[in-house]
Amino acid sequence: MAAVKRITRELAEFSNNPLPGVSAGLVSEKDVFKWNVILTGPKGSPYSGGVFTLNLNLPTEYPFKPPTLNFTTKIYHPNVSNDDKGSMCLGILRSDSWKPSCKISQVLEMAAGLLNEPNVDDAVETSIADEYKNSPDSFEKTAREWTRQYAK
Amino acid sequence: MAPSRSSKNSLQSVDLRALDYLTSPSANLLCPICHAPLITPVQTRCLHTFCSACISLSLERSLTCPVDRKPLNHDDVTPAPIMIANLVNDLVVLCPNREKGCTTSCARWLVESHVREDCEFAAIKCAKEGCDGMVERREAEGECVHEEVECAFCQGPIRKLDIEIHYKECPKLSSDCRYCSKSFPNPELGAHKLICPDEVIDCAASHFGCSYSSRRSELDEHLSHCHFVALTPILQLHTERIETLELENKAVRQKLDLLVPPRPLPTQGSGANSSTANDYNSAGRDMTSEMQDYTYHLYSEYEQLRSDVERLNAQIRELDVKQDMARFNEGLRYNDEMAGVRAAINGLRMQLHWLVASRRETGAGGAGAAAGPRSIGGSSVGGDGRRMSVDSARQVVKL
Repeated sequence: MAAVKRITRELAEFSNNPLPGVSAGLVSEKDVFKWNVILTGPKGSPYSGGVFTLNLNLPTEYPFKPPTLNFTTKIYHPNVSNDDKGSMCLGILRSDSWKPSCKISQVLEMAAGLLNEPNVDDAVETSIADEYKNSPDSFEKTAREWTRQYAK
Repeated sequence: MAPSRSSKNSLQSVDLRALDYLTSPSANLLCPICHAPLITPVQTRCLHTFCSACISLSLERSLTCPVDRKPLNHDDVTPAPIMIANLVNDLVVLCPNREKGCTTSCARWLVESHVREDCEFAAIKCAKEGCDGMVERREAEGECVHEEVECAFCQGPIRKLDIEIHYKECPKLSSDCRYCSKSFPNPELGAHKLICPDEVIDCAASHFGCSYSSRRSELDEHLSHCHFVALTPILQLHTERIETLELENKAVRQKLDLLVPPRPLPTQGSGANSSTANDYNSAGRDMTSEMQDYTYHLYSEYEQLRSDVERLNAQIRELDVKQDMARFNEGLRYNDEMAGVRAAINGLRMQLHWLVASRRETGAGGAGAAAGPRSIGGSSVGGDGRRMSVDSARQVVKL
């Protein structure tokens, strides 16, 4: 019950002070544990012009357990698993480094930041991370291609 | 108002966590866990402040501070300075019965007594003896509203509380239609609502994008020339086809994912990636039944090979175990044999020892008797002889 209150509060807070390039809302009014998030690709990044939808799932133990973030739009990114789940790897989302004082808006801010600057040290897709490090041109080309193909 | 509250709760208690605050409180007074103003604030050894209930919940899950993740025990949590408790308790909150009409706002520590004693809109137990109903304090003075009375029109038993609602549904009464303002008997109102000519409804093709809406009586004219309505059969057909195609595509993609590794190799570069992606798209379109059969064939073969490999693996493991056992048994046998041989050698050595010792005894006795009358040179020879016998004894010991 406490979780519902905190989440409702966070949602109201987020609607009052939205982040640039991020919009979020509940999937259904009845369930505050499922959020729909839309990220727009930041200008100057290979994802520019793309619209990425994500699912944010909050556990019932929130805020003691971290939320999970999944890309429903396919994206070529070192920190997003390239499978059906599209789970995003964020340092603060791992259960050993999650803190109950973290807010959803901070999580979304980090996620938006990762589109600008992938974090290769925290990569789930090591092959993409290697490509990002060693041949940024080829990475950027593929990322742009995928954005054009899947995120328009 | 509220028709029936739980009869066990003679008084509604105030949930401090659900209160609304008159002004948004300073962020410093918020609990990092529930993000609401602190309730019964406590302080940790690392000097962070939480609601007492929140930190207990957190410590149940992990014994670390929720802010800096330093180790934290139940004993490290102490009540926060009184000043903090006073600051949060003095925050002005709105009465929890605000939605029912109470306009009171007061300091948080007073709100409970306000609801318990003063609030006109708080639910309290009905004053009438034997009645379990709840009633708002401002209505408690009058007669009990939970008594059943007879409806003046249909003669059914209705609680006084519900009579207003009942009048809207009573089968003997008529109500006005919301749209055409004509009066209908209550039982017929539902049927009328479906055909009321004055209700404003959307075009029949609104889900295909037509934004037209008008009164029901005027909609027919629109329908006769609406392009969307004309296209509806085709659009419907297309929607259904797209749905089936999507399902098919999903199934095909799943099969493809099993056969083609879904991750593009980084060395192949972007060209290969886009071609894989194109494959996905064209695969959905071009996959004929022949291709599908082939896929099935490959898949089954793959499965068969995998089970073969698994079987072989198991066999190898079994053989390994067998061989290990055999080797171990043989080793045991050798060990036994070696122990037997060692014991035999030991026996031999004892015998030799005894023989040498007895020989030396007799030898030394003879030499001593001979040395007495002999010259000095002779005694030196006797000494050599003794040394030799000592050497040989040593050799035996070495054996």
